[in-house]
Amino acid sequence: MEEADEMVTPGEVLGKATDLKAGKGAYAASHNNTIYASLTGFRRIQAPPPASNDKRPTVEVTGHKAHGPVPEPGSVVIARVTKVMARTASADIMCVGPKSVREKFTGIIRQQDVRATEIDKVDMHLSFHPGDIVRAVVLSLGDARAYYLSTAKNELGVVSAESSAGATMVPISWTEMQCPLTGQIELRKVAKVVN
Amino acid sequence: MENKQSSSPASFVDSTVVPGDVVLDLSSMTSQTIKLGGGLRQDCDAISAMKAGTLRFSKPNKYWIESSQKRYVPCVEDTILGIVVDSKADNFLIDIKGPAMGFLPVLAFEGGTRRNIPKFEILVESSHNSILFSMRLIGLYQLEVGTLLYLRVVKANFGMNPELSCTDASGKAAEFGPLKDGYMFETSTGLSRKLLSSPTCPVLEALGKKLSFEIAVGLNGRVWVNAASPDTIVVVANAIMNSESLSGAQQIIMVDHLLKNIQ
Repeated sequence: MEEADEMVTPGEVLGKATDLKAGKGAYAASHNNTIYASLTGFRRIQAPPPASNDKRPTVEVTGHKAHGPVPEPGSVVIARVTKVMARTASADIMCVGPKSVREKFTGIIRQQDVRATEIDKVDMHLSFHPGDIVRAVVLSLGDARAYYLSTAKNELGVVSAESSAGATMVPISWTEMQCPLTGQIELRKVAKVVN
Repeated sequence: MENKQSSSPASFVDSTVVPGDVVLDLSSMTSQTIKLGGGLRQDCDAISAMKAGTLRFSKPNKYWIESSQKRYVPCVEDTILGIVVDSKADNFLIDIKGPAMGFLPVLAFEGGTRRNIPKFEILVESSHNSILFSMRLIGLYQLEVGTLLYLRVVKANFGMNPELSCTDASGKAAEFGPLKDGYMFETSTGLSRKLLSSPTCPVLEALGKKLSFEIAVGLNGRVWVNAASPDTIVVVANAIMNSESLSGAQQIIMVDHLLKNIQ
């Protein structure tokens, strides 16, 4: 891999499609066989893998914070619940898969997406509290404000939560967590962590 | 901070405590379940106070801290007086003198369905001038901004807006709903509780012997009075506001004094 060269912005010409292959952050326009950048970042050229037939190096645009992981429909995210309301809960997405995000993304968990059974009898306050860490799956890009998240599977739900006494609680069933200091049981939608 | 190693519970009950006082030591008590009410928190084996007030005990096992303040903390099954501030798609926003606005679902009235949203057309004079708007909301939900309502708290979770209702638990109206005419004034939460205690509070009993009036007390520190003449309303309101720091006998003397002046 060569050293990174200059900073490019979306729309800048990176080369001809006959010489280069379009990688991450670049695309080939079919009408004039030119490669353009689609993101902001540094233009990098990668040597072609020796086994392939195509001898063209790959050009990609990387290195900007917009290149941090972005939640996609179907990806599993870790989020912190910020607000619990009557029919929805808001959460700040912190990690997508194993990587942490570099910008702020907001997600919403709706009442019907909290669990798979008896979805109209869900009490949001008995499933999440503000400050809980949850594992959820992204359902869709949602609206302009937030992604739609779902915890409707056994392995999704609250992963870590603090009790009202301030201690990290221990899960005891899929609906209950217990505080080790006071012994009080609080209700949450708990994720089944499989080791 | 007092920290008695083996404190018998009776020593703190009915006395004033401040935040940080350890009021109960669980290790010295026999194994029994005790119920902790508001203002108390558990730290492993010690129960300590979180609010300043009087520690109260009721048999068999309930402890709580009683104090009086201007701000109301919503609690389930409390009856309160709220003022309509705004209306949204399926909730009315109600000011209840608490940390957050209360939500009153549009359907939370007796026989409430989407087709017969109640129309409240009387604008109630209230002393809460800061949110008394005079505009009339046009549309399906004509619950005037500024209407005074007698409500019940259905859900009150920390961090969420409390949910309110204009029906009792079985769905009947039972005196809940808008209050017409009359005069509303604010008190502390402690005085509201005293007015609602049974046997009847001395000031209300003394007033009731000489005057006829109607009263609604909200546990959030609001009281509404209605009577045939404005003079009666003013006397009742003043008597109640004066009675906060007086003992029973003093309250009766104060009421007699007020009534003598207007006769």
